[in-house]
Amino acid sequence: MEVISTKNLKKEYQGSRFNKEKITALKNFSFNVQEGDIFGLLGPNGAGKTTLVKVLLGIVYPTEGEVSIFGDSIKNEKYKTRVGYLPENHKFPNYLTGEQVLHYFGMLSGMTKAQVQSRSDEYLKIVDMEKWKKTKIKKYSKGMMQRLGIAQAMINEPDLIFLDEPTDGVDPIGRKEIRDILIGLKEKGKTIFLNSHLLSEIELVCNRVAILNKGELIKEGTIDEITSTGNQHTFSTSDLSDAVINILLSQHFATLHGKNEFLVNTESPEVLNSIIDILRKNNVNILSLTKEKNSLENMFINLIGQQN
Amino acid sequence: MIFKTLVFGVIREAIAKKIFIGFFAISTLIILGFIAFVNFDSVEGIVTMSGDEVRELVLGFESFTLGVSYLLLITLCLIGVSSIIPSMLEKGNIDLLLSKPVSRSQILLGKFVGGLLLIFVSLVYLIGTIWLIVSFKFGYWNASFLSSILMLTFSFAVIYSLVIFIGITTQSSILAILINIFLIFLICPFLASREQVLFTFITGDVGHFIINFLYYILPKPNDLQTITGNIIKGEKVVSWQPVITSALFLITFLSASIFVFKKKDY
Ligand SMILES: Nc1ncnc2c1ncn2[C@@H]1O[C@H](COP(=O)(O)OP(=O)(O)O)[C@@H](O)[C@H]1O
Ligand SMILES: [Mg+2]
Repeated sequence: MEVISTKNLKKEYQGSRFNKEKITALKNFSFNVQEGDIFGLLGPNGAGKTTLVKVLLGIVYPTEGEVSIFGDSIKNEKYKTRVGYLPENHKFPNYLTGEQVLHYFGMLSGMTKAQVQSRSDEYLKIVDMEKWKKTKIKKYSKGMMQRLGIAQAMINEPDLIFLDEPTDGVDPIGRKEIRDILIGLKEKGKTIFLNSHLLSEIELVCNRVAILNKGELIKEGTIDEITSTGNQHTFSTSDLSDAVINILLSQHFATLHGKNEFLVNTESPEVLNSIIDILRKNNVNILSLTKEKNSLENMFINLIGQQN
Repeated sequence: MIFKTLVFGVIREAIAKKIFIGFFAISTLIILGFIAFVNFDSVEGIVTMSGDEVRELVLGFESFTLGVSYLLLITLCLIGVSSIIPSMLEKGNIDLLLSKPVSRSQILLGKFVGGLLLIFVSLVYLIGTIWLIVSFKFGYWNASFLSSILMLTFSFAVIYSLVIFIGITTQSSILAILINIFLIFLICPFLASREQVLFTFITGDVGHFIINFLYYILPKPNDLQTITGNIIKGEKVVSWQPVITSALFLITFLSASIFVFKKKDY
């Protein structure tokens, strides 16, 4: 089932008072997210990621285009009872305790007092914030705030969760903890929409990725689809003789890594097979042959680079 | 349910930001001052007074109290609620609020009702206590004095609608306070006394028309105060026009605030 779908979204912001030029934050943006997806939206700062999430939540209005969530238009707020949201740089009322934050925002999501009270402990435990629940949040560290924010986004047991830069400003240990929480959510079968400018985050938890740059969708697909466009092949072998090395270098432009490993750049299976034939004819044992994945990072840098 | 959460959110914010305590402290000071003031008058004198004289005395005390404090109380309330809208609009807070299953008009009405409730409760404490003191002391129970709680709340609501409008459009609490104080203490008193003051040096139909026009469209705290005085003393209210036009002002600015709030990106 399609949980999110947009068609030809466009968002123009009014320029500043001094510079009347309009800022285009999203251009012709069409995509969809399926039920159970952990969808990662990747893009440098200013790409329009936050704008997209805000459009999906009715916080910002699109200039053009259509949005549907759970198969319905977003004109009616009703769908928001099934949605959780962790805003970028969120600011909860700092006079509340962690527990009160969950109660307050849970009730604003349409839950009863009894429901939030019975669930808040469970979610505080998931994000490992139980011991801090009676502490005022103004004493929390950034990592604690983000963990509480994630609990807040889950408290109404939403079917769809938006997390905008959930690990921003959090130290490496806190990052790991947040990643583990997300993996836990993935196992529960929730649909998650994750915004990040950090590739590693997305690579580790998402199954689908879209890359956004300057408001435009550059590429979209599963992690495999996006990363398997490389055509670098690595051979691991028993010792290569000089004769064989000569053939590899002259005929196939191989890159040698010592006596037991070389790389070949090709897309053609015939070339690979002819290399294998040469090796076998010369009594070289093939230990492994692997296709190097373009890491998402290289991919990302390449794509953004091509754009600029 | 969500609406109720919004309304009580305002109260909780007021408690956390010590606004409630502030109101309570100031009210208590006023009450203590009032007790001292009432005691100046010798108790023995009352025994010899006739019923009518006691009634006059009580009404005198009550109208005097409001006469002195009416506009100041509204200004105090104004300062107390001026940050509600700007703090709601802070980045990272408003985004989350708007992601909840509640319409923007309900969010704003929730803040409006929450502010009114806050002021109403504070006024019940202040006016209620003063009423108890005067009534106990003199043995004359003038229930219509309590209606000033409603009139003050209403006068405040009119001002509050403008505070909300300025808050939504400029996100500034200082500006909301300044503009309202300017209105309450300068513009409105002048307009209320236009016939005695302004018209003596502004002559000509156009000038009169403009001044009358301003008078009718702006809030009328002075006239509302006069009406409150009439009600307390059991006098006939000459004209309810100030109540009606002030209510229209309230509705206009509240609707305009909702209109602007509904259109904006956050
Ligand atoms: N409220 C706004 N008014 C004007 N411009 C905005 C506003 N919000 C975002 N922008 C601009 O839109 C672009 C996209 O911003 P944003 O969606 O926050 O990107 P990201 O989340 O990917 O960093 C940026 O150029 C930003 O300056
Ligand atoms: Mg962002």
